[in-house]
Amino acid sequence: MNLHLNYTRKDSAPSSSGDVVATVLTLLEEGYLNAAQFARLEIHLDWLQYKYNFREAVTVMQIGGEAHENLPPMEIRIDSRQVAPGSLRGLVQKAMAAQTPDSEERRGRIYFEDFRPFRRSIVWEFNRLYWQRVKDWEKATGKGYQEALPGGKSDGTDAQAVSDSVEEFWKLLKELDTSNRLPQEIFILEIGVGMGAHAGMWLDRFCTLDQERGTNFYPRLRFLLGDYSLATLEHSRPAVKRHLDLCSFIALDATDPIKTLSFLRHKILHVHSTNMYDNLPDEEVVWRDNRIYWVQSRAYLPAADAARISQLSGVAVADIPAVVDRLLDVGIAALPDRAKGMQFWMETWRAMRIEEQLVDAVDMPDAAFPAGLSTLHMEEILRYAPNDLRFHLSTGALDSFRNTLPLLHPRGYLQVQDIFVTDLQEYSMGFHGPGKLDGSIVNWVNGALLREVAERAGYDLHFTPFQYRPGSKTSVLYTTRRE
Amino acid sequence: MTLPILPTTMVGSYSMPGWLERLKTDYFARRISRHDLDEIHDAAVRSAIKDQEMAGLDMVTDGELRRDNMIDYFVERLPGVQIDRSSKKFYYDFYDSEVIGKIPMAAIGLIDDFRFLLANTERVAKICITGPHSLTKRVRNKHYPSEEALATDIARVMNMELKELVKAGAKYIQIDEPYYSGFPEDINWGVNVLNILVEGVHAKIAVHICYGNRYGKPSWEGSYRYLFPAILNAKVHSLSLEFARRGGEDLDLFREFKVPFELGAGVIDVKDNSVETPDIVAERIRKTLNFVAPEKLYVLPDCGLFHVPRDIAFGKLRAMVEGAKIVRKELGK
Repeated sequence: MNLHLNYTRKDSAPSSSGDVVATVLTLLEEGYLNAAQFARLEIHLDWLQYKYNFREAVTVMQIGGEAHENLPPMEIRIDSRQVAPGSLRGLVQKAMAAQTPDSEERRGRIYFEDFRPFRRSIVWEFNRLYWQRVKDWEKATGKGYQEALPGGKSDGTDAQAVSDSVEEFWKLLKELDTSNRLPQEIFILEIGVGMGAHAGMWLDRFCTLDQERGTNFYPRLRFLLGDYSLATLEHSRPAVKRHLDLCSFIALDATDPIKTLSFLRHKILHVHSTNMYDNLPDEEVVWRDNRIYWVQSRAYLPAADAARISQLSGVAVADIPAVVDRLLDVGIAALPDRAKGMQFWMETWRAMRIEEQLVDAVDMPDAAFPAGLSTLHMEEILRYAPNDLRFHLSTGALDSFRNTLPLLHPRGYLQVQDIFVTDLQEYSMGFHGPGKLDGSIVNWVNGALLREVAERAGYDLHFTPFQYRPGSKTSVLYTTRRE
Repeated sequence: MTLPILPTTMVGSYSMPGWLERLKTDYFARRISRHDLDEIHDAAVRSAIKDQEMAGLDMVTDGELRRDNMIDYFVERLPGVQIDRSSKKFYYDFYDSEVIGKIPMAAIGLIDDFRFLLANTERVAKICITGPHSLTKRVRNKHYPSEEALATDIARVMNMELKELVKAGAKYIQIDEPYYSGFPEDINWGVNVLNILVEGVHAKIAVHICYGNRYGKPSWEGSYRYLFPAILNAKVHSLSLEFARRGGEDLDLFREFKVPFELGAGVIDVKDNSVETPDIVAERIRKTLNFVAPEKLYVLPDCGLFHVPRDIAFGKLRAMVEGAKIVRKELGK
């Protein structure tokens, strides 16, 4: 048996490694585990910092696929934060029992989907619903969405950070202008615009700086605000009302900007986004014994939560999946009483859990890695990585990144503020999502993979800690051209 | 073998297969031997030549598949250049290299590659080499008083090699100088050095100048206007320029400056993975013919096809050949 301690915090873990070992040994003695299972058992102790997440306190996962038909290796993941003292044994037994398809534990669950890549899970539909109908959520909670963020506001609207960003861009323009290489039209793209606050501040600051320095670059700006939500684009207009002549509002798929903006290939001098990558559909893979495994998932409601939600909303338990479909389609009008619709949304989201299974990559030859990565490339990257490493593939972020680069002017650069894991080793030392932040998903982005993809595409990636807010977990990614 | 009117050819490189990239990187990681890599290169080059023939090109190259990139293949052969062989992580990276003394005169060993090409095709063969200006921009100069002085000595060494290539049967030689576009202020001395390179080389010489294709993206943007009038002093027969991706606005320069050279016009966008139709190619050729006589026009991609997936690269070459046929027919040729 291998026990992995995937966090470095020392404070008040209710379930210590000693408890875990003692519990597993007892289960072995009592015949709940056989010797072969014990010998190949992997136990991961995690610490999930997000109050709302998709995990039970204890989950058991078996590896599927032809190579493991006879005796699938077993993995137990324990969220130390959720385990109350004295409850570990019962939770492990319950999780093991839930592995049987017809177990009582499973029979009571309300499933929303079959096993599938996490990026295709219904949870991302909930994430989309949140951003499309964030006003409903804000009204119900009485708080703006930014108040849910650590620090209570977006790092994208820090005045000093915006000012420094503008200064850096102005210097580039000045340099190009001096060498007669500044294009007549200066294109800038922001992807994921929120309420337009960052764009508005950026343009205000640029206008002022340009006037102070008399360079007259401002009238040549072409500022593109890109977002997949037309409603969001509409909401962003007031924030840039002083600059509307320079702004274009463009509905685009953040994972494929070049598709919409191909006419600007090699023309955009600056692309910016804040807290966008962490909100794009993602999935995870496991690297174990020199093999790659895909993590498949399916979303469900635990039986007790389904019963509670049924009672609160008046929706029969069996009808919950159908009402969820309607909710994702029409929002809280899915129920005749909008207040109950809102309550249904919030409670269902908060209670939603994910079941997982591992599938050997050789059993899924059609499963594709994101743009810029191949299985062989991944194996090369992982050659020196720790064994038994579970990490984000950051599918949506990689697609977005790879499909944004062709837009960049030869001297253009991409700047992304987000939460990044910059070294694969970090995955062995802390939980990096997915979690729930209000009605949306919070998920760290695998910067180490982004760096690998960037290098093959002709860019070096740099990550600098966001220095403008003490304690911020945000980093700023920016690209430089690779020679 | 004679060339038809509007002859079609590649700029140089052909699609680099993913499997060859991995094997090249394996070589740098010492997982395969030099001997194995040489055999692999031979097979890949034969395949690239065959693809060009099947696509119908009138003039073929070896696809440059032996080269890691346009710089290192020459830098590691130039006598007197010091190379840090640990400086590559991926085969495509540039070596860190420097010159710490005068470059001696010595062969740089391109003849075998050209003979291999000749032995494997009956089409007209072209060899492409990176020019001294571009090489100078990637080598740290710790000896010469100026970049021009370093480039001049590189040109002298390479001039000797070009003459040996002509003796080996080379009739068409292309000099690649994309770094002109990155350093337009160098154009006067760049042309002087180019003339030293080609002095006494009795072959048809083209100089290819684009806006860069490193990692399949442009390294610079601008207008070819910077070339003029300095480029008119170049002792070459042909200019090879990119027009498909950038549009043909700069074609006006040919009229404005009464350019005496033949033109190799880029009619295939190598930075876009969609395959042009023959009609699009034909239209681009027709547009060029407004500025250049048909007997002075070569039909090419904008740059090498190194970064374009193989099936797409082949499709683009086919479209280029078919597009040229359409216009030849219109010209009654």
